[in-house]
Amino acid sequence: MRGLMPLFLGLFGTFTFSWLGLTVIPNAQIGALNPQMDEEQTDIYPMPQSGMVQLGRQVYAANGCAYCHSRQLRPDYIAADLDRDRDVGPSPRPKWGTRRSAPRDYVFERPVLLGDERLGPDLADIGKAAPTAEESPAAPAGSAAGAAPSQSAAGNAASPKPAASAAASPASAVATTAPSPVPNPNGMPAAYSEAWHHRHLYSPQSMSPETRDSIMPAFRFLYDKRRIGAEPSADALHLTGPAAPAAGWEIVPTYEAKCLVAYLMAQDQSHGLKEVKGAGSGAPAAGSPAAAPAGSPVTAAPAKK
Amino acid sequence: MTPATDIPLKQPAISATAGEVEQLERAIIDASTRVPVLMFYASAMVWLLIGTLLALFALFKLHAPGWLADYGCLTWGRLRPVQMDIMIYGWASMVGMGTATWLMARLCRTTLRHPLLLVAGTCFWNIGVVVGVIAVLMGYSTGYQWLEFPPYAGVILLAAYALIVSWAVLMFRFRRGEQIYITQWYLLGAFLWFPWMYAAAHAMLFVTPVQGVMQAVVGWWYANNLMFLWLGAIALGTAYYMIPKVIGRPVYSYHLATIGFWTYALFSSWTGMQRLVDGPFPAWMITASIAATILTIIPVATVGLNHHRTMQGYFPVMRYSPTLRFTVFGAMAYTIFSIVGILISLRSTAQYLHFTIANSAYSQMGLYAFFTMIMFGSMYYIVPRLVGREWRYASLIKLHFWASAYGIGLLSLLLLVGGFVQGKSQQDPTLPFVESVQSVLPYLRGLSLAALLLTASHFIFAYHFGLMLFGLGRTSTVPTFLNPVEAEGAETHL
Repeated sequence: MRGLMPLFLGLFGTFTFSWLGLTVIPNAQIGALNPQMDEEQTDIYPMPQSGMVQLGRQVYAANGCAYCHSRQLRPDYIAADLDRDRDVGPSPRPKWGTRRSAPRDYVFERPVLLGDERLGPDLADIGKAAPTAEESPAAPAGSAAGAAPSQSAAGNAASPKPAASAAASPASAVATTAPSPVPNPNGMPAAYSEAWHHRHLYSPQSMSPETRDSIMPAFRFLYDKRRIGAEPSADALHLTGPAAPAAGWEIVPTYEAKCLVAYLMAQDQSHGLKEVKGAGSGAPAAGSPAAAPAGSPVTAAPAKK
Repeated sequence: MTPATDIPLKQPAISATAGEVEQLERAIIDASTRVPVLMFYASAMVWLLIGTLLALFALFKLHAPGWLADYGCLTWGRLRPVQMDIMIYGWASMVGMGTATWLMARLCRTTLRHPLLLVAGTCFWNIGVVVGVIAVLMGYSTGYQWLEFPPYAGVILLAAYALIVSWAVLMFRFRRGEQIYITQWYLLGAFLWFPWMYAAAHAMLFVTPVQGVMQAVVGWWYANNLMFLWLGAIALGTAYYMIPKVIGRPVYSYHLATIGFWTYALFSSWTGMQRLVDGPFPAWMITASIAATILTIIPVATVGLNHHRTMQGYFPVMRYSPTLRFTVFGAMAYTIFSIVGILISLRSTAQYLHFTIANSAYSQMGLYAFFTMIMFGSMYYIVPRLVGREWRYASLIKLHFWASAYGIGLLSLLLLVGGFVQGKSQQDPTLPFVESVQSVLPYLRGLSLAALLLTASHFIFAYHFGLMLFGLGRTSTVPTFLNPVEAEGAETHL
């Protein structure tokens, strides 16, 4: 019997030590954060999110988006996260983000989906990359034509897809009854708009030369394919090239897809936080050179839904 | 006793003078564990095959994203967590519990009482995994790494576990003999720690959810401890039993084993937060975990040294004994896995490797090269003693070993090198992001090849195991050797 009691105490003690040290104590430190607000209690960040955004988070979690897309930005003295431009978008390209992420950014998130691998770009600020509502569709040069000389070195073996979509795009400016920002003349919605996200989810490789080699799977099961009724649905996707359905058919997002896009559009960590030094701190609109020359970038994305 | 006869009979060191009575007693104990342990093993094998196929599927989809992408339940983002969870809860946990049950009975020198209730526990555990897998495939994943099963599946698993563990505790209660062998320490630890970490993670994520980023902290704390204090502890305990047993020689230093055990429990339970490096967390936690990771060099060194000194002079036995070959591979992989873990946790490397596929290299080395290989070894030892037959084909065992060894070696190497390449282009903001994906694509293709090797190895093993299960093994008094033992030759080797 000698040694049994110390053994159990030891087993118990070591694990208690880890449990207290790595979960209980940090929880006391950062487990009860409040949103930040200014003196007048008007400028509150972060805000609780709408039901659609919450559901969109479930869709995001259920389909494993977080296994490829992180939602956290590292500080600029460690990593290139904040220097990085998004691969598509109007020139100047939107940045990945303007400041590092902080615990307070996530207080309303459950489940929290930080991600630990980047086979796809970071999405912490993807909603902020969206064009503002009043912004003119200045994007024709952006998504398809702008950076057309392919920068992807290994991409030459890919497929004839880019050629096909490039050829098809000028021809098809049909069915533009979208509620979201006006698609530009070549049929491609403005980068990171709702319509763009829908199209990207439906057919990731069809977007532009930069995405033709994307290894993102298509999420077609989040979309319904149906016959066009009396008139095309208002929310039907405008698709061109090989992704387009046959004549007389249309692709409409399911409610799940709409929630997912609402969730993506709500991703915005550009609001300054007192505890984070850097470009994004201080005045709300300080560090937003990237997104849009017009409009107020900070309020734009959340206000849209 | 000459070594040549020593190897075949696998005489245990502790009872080198064991007589007929002890042999008989051991046979009775083995027989009492037959049904539940085989049940664990058979379920684990089925899950291993399913998990392997799904992993292969998921790896192919990584570089062929359009393949079978139009059905929700087959989308990559659901297959990946499902195959991981099947490997952890279906394969690793079940084979671990099977081996642990058998070891516990042997080391407590007591028969397993009421084995049918343990069988019920196994059934419930299987049901829990099935429920969880279906839920994740249907799109009800919780979104937490390694805890994707919805809480209701978790409750089933926990209830099943309660049934299973009470039998281990019961055996310990009825044990004979004064000494508690080091293996039992590891097993008792694993049995105590697992329900704690699992229940604590569930409580903090689902019952009274913690706020925001704390969920990620709890998630990684759980995942890390699952690796080290549940699976890792079972694997190390098994290695401490199998290595001395097969070569018929006591553990080199019991004192070293004690040091290794306590430092392992203390330090490895504090690692894990390095996976959150530079994220939105208090920096002290991450630093503490990096420090703990570096300190795990102490248990690694003591355990490694101990095994090495035990094996010294007996390494040639690996030519013959399948158990020893797999176990020693796993024990060596533990050292490599830990050293890689230390290297990639350092902030200077982590800034490149964080967010790359190198993270998977670490998990795979731990789960497969270390844990799974030791479990394969233990199955090669235990199954013949349960079914009363010997493994039928030495060639199949060799194929299994080499396919596994090359498969996991290639897999880890590709993930590590690919991770560096990917991280380097990720850290260069002048390159478009898609460039970093392109740079890693050749490695992702290579992974499919590695996965094919592993698939082949698992199907070979499953076939061989199936033969044993249906009584088609060899009837012989000598175990199956990988190579024919020439008495003189063996002697000169030793």
